[in-house]
Amino acid sequence: MANPNRQFSGASKYVLDEELARIVNISMALEMPLLLKGEPGTGKTMLAHAISEALQMDMLVLNVKSSMKLVEALYQYDTLTRLNDSRFGDSNRDVSNIEEYIKMGKIGQAFASDQKVVLLIDEIDKADTDFQDDMLDVLDQMEFDIIEIDKTIRAKNRPIIIITSNAKKDLSDPFLGRCNFHHIAFPEPEMMRKIIQVHFDDISKEMLENTVMTFYRMREFKGIEKKPATRELINWIRALKTDPDFKIKDLVRGEIPYLGILFKKSPDYAIAQRAATRMRI
Amino acid sequence: MFTKFFYILKQVGIPVSPTSFLRLQKALAMGLITSIDDFYTAARSILVKSERYFDLYDQVFAHYFEGAELKDPEEFELSEIARTMLEEWLKDPKGLAEALGVDEKTISKLSPEELLKYFLDRLKEQTEEHHGGSKWIGTGGTSPVGHSGYHPGGMRVGGVSRNKSAVKVAMDRRYRDYSHEGPLTQAQMGEALKRLRNMIPDGPKDVVNVDKTIYQTMKNAGEIEIVFERRLKDRLKVILAIDNGGWSMEPYVIVIQTLFNYARAQFKELKTFFFHNTIYDRLWEDPPRLSKPFSVDELIRLDPQTRFIILGDASMAPYELMATDGSIHIEERSSQPSYKRLQFIAETFPHAVWLNPVMAAEWPYTRTIGAIREIFPMYELTIDGLEQAVTHLMSKN
Repeated sequence: MANPNRQFSGASKYVLDEELARIVNISMALEMPLLLKGEPGTGKTMLAHAISEALQMDMLVLNVKSSMKLVEALYQYDTLTRLNDSRFGDSNRDVSNIEEYIKMGKIGQAFASDQKVVLLIDEIDKADTDFQDDMLDVLDQMEFDIIEIDKTIRAKNRPIIIITSNAKKDLSDPFLGRCNFHHIAFPEPEMMRKIIQVHFDDISKEMLENTVMTFYRMREFKGIEKKPATRELINWIRALKTDPDFKIKDLVRGEIPYLGILFKKSPDYAIAQRAATRMRI
Repeated sequence: MFTKFFYILKQVGIPVSPTSFLRLQKALAMGLITSIDDFYTAARSILVKSERYFDLYDQVFAHYFEGAELKDPEEFELSEIARTMLEEWLKDPKGLAEALGVDEKTISKLSPEELLKYFLDRLKEQTEEHHGGSKWIGTGGTSPVGHSGYHPGGMRVGGVSRNKSAVKVAMDRRYRDYSHEGPLTQAQMGEALKRLRNMIPDGPKDVVNVDKTIYQTMKNAGEIEIVFERRLKDRLKVILAIDNGGWSMEPYVIVIQTLFNYARAQFKELKTFFFHNTIYDRLWEDPPRLSKPFSVDELIRLDPQTRFIILGDASMAPYELMATDGSIHIEERSSQPSYKRLQFIAETFPHAVWLNPVMAAEWPYTRTIGAIREIFPMYELTIDGLEQAVTHLMSKN
């Protein structure tokens, strides 16, 4: 079992603000799921990766899909294989033993694991409310039944659960009642510089200043539907760095290459292109 | 511990649950919370479950731990004015020194906090001497001291200070943008409209129907026959009819554009029509309402399951709605009065709503709104109203 006193204080590629660190640690101590909300691209998912890296735990990711049913996240009963085996009988599996055809889903795997793991439930808002309510029952009880074989799976170790949601809308009240909550605000320029430095340790000061400044200016463009976020900025800088023809002076003159990395919707791209030509730092 | 804090949170309208409060107690008992900063973050993440309430939480926190007075919502505006004015002032120390009649140097020696206090005291004196505060704060004779909602510790002066105490952080009210008072954004609309969907089978047959497969296999006496089906996909048809004419709709243009942009991105089968004030024999497919008329009678050929959303202020002269040839456009002749046409649409599309950018409280003052509400269920164009409208549109009957 993992040392309960272990504290999370950031990872190699993740800049953690003090507030969030405190919340993560309290959630771990209280053994509560932590629900993270915030603009896309502000590092909600990255936080789970960072925790698993810092505490050296394995991570399981449950990517929620809109059509998903809770049972898929828990386990799957592979009826087709069983049907096939019973028909042709050419496998080593024992057809009369249903347990051989039960496959654990991500939550099931997290419960069954001998080690304490980090369980990331990504974009919970995609699923319908029934899924969310049912899931929190499972997470609260830390056990679920496999109906087909009448067996109860209990969590050996309570996983550290991080749940992310992009929605501005609230999740259901009972769901929220069982989570801790944090909203990751968009980082201030100062924080952003730190984040960039973590990702590009060889970046020159001039490049850092100019790209970050240009980036925040571009976020201000009027009429943009999807503002570029941290993820886009990092990819953009990566692109700039690989381009041998790129000079920092271009940015100062308002020539911004690779706008497509920052603005991914075509109307946004058009607006940005027009606005960028008028922009000077 | 902190029971009163909990009840104040409840009082101001943050949905806090006793369970979460007990959990906070547990965290305190476990010794996880050692400072007021810890308490600020821990209590917020445990008790407050939406960023919309973060701003309110900040205010309560500042009130409880620092004694800043809680504001009534009405006073919010006033303190806003005072705050911006003071900040404006502080950007220009020279002007400030002159205005107060003191040497700039004495002021510059003071720390920001001291300076503020000093400044506030002076402001108090000055407003009392002069015009009873009306010049500074606005009407109602409220002086910057009297209206009280505002505490010197809550101000940010000039540059950004780091490592602030939790109380100060709370007083900054960083989350104001997320509270209810914020404008309606496209993302919020998206959330409200997300539930508008209608799943029907579509696309290639690539999903195994286990029950049917087993049934067919049994029927074949054990010879496996796998039954495939189409996936469920969202195929909701939506018609959006927008009132885009006249001055009365002018103030709502931005809100409506937001809704329109979102709808265009969201729905695969979206038809948009335009009209002025109300609908007669024709709708228009082009915004200027000139070149592409669409006869209202034609609507009957469309799928009756289509969701029909009308967006307009429903405010006009009564005859426009009630009289034959009621249109204010001389070239637009109509065989039937508009309300008949609206009734026809409501009968053709059982799932129809009218969204009104005018706030519901003002509806009783406009007669045509009342008349149209008898035909269509009407909802405010706000997040809550949108959600209600969506619920209505998706209901079975």
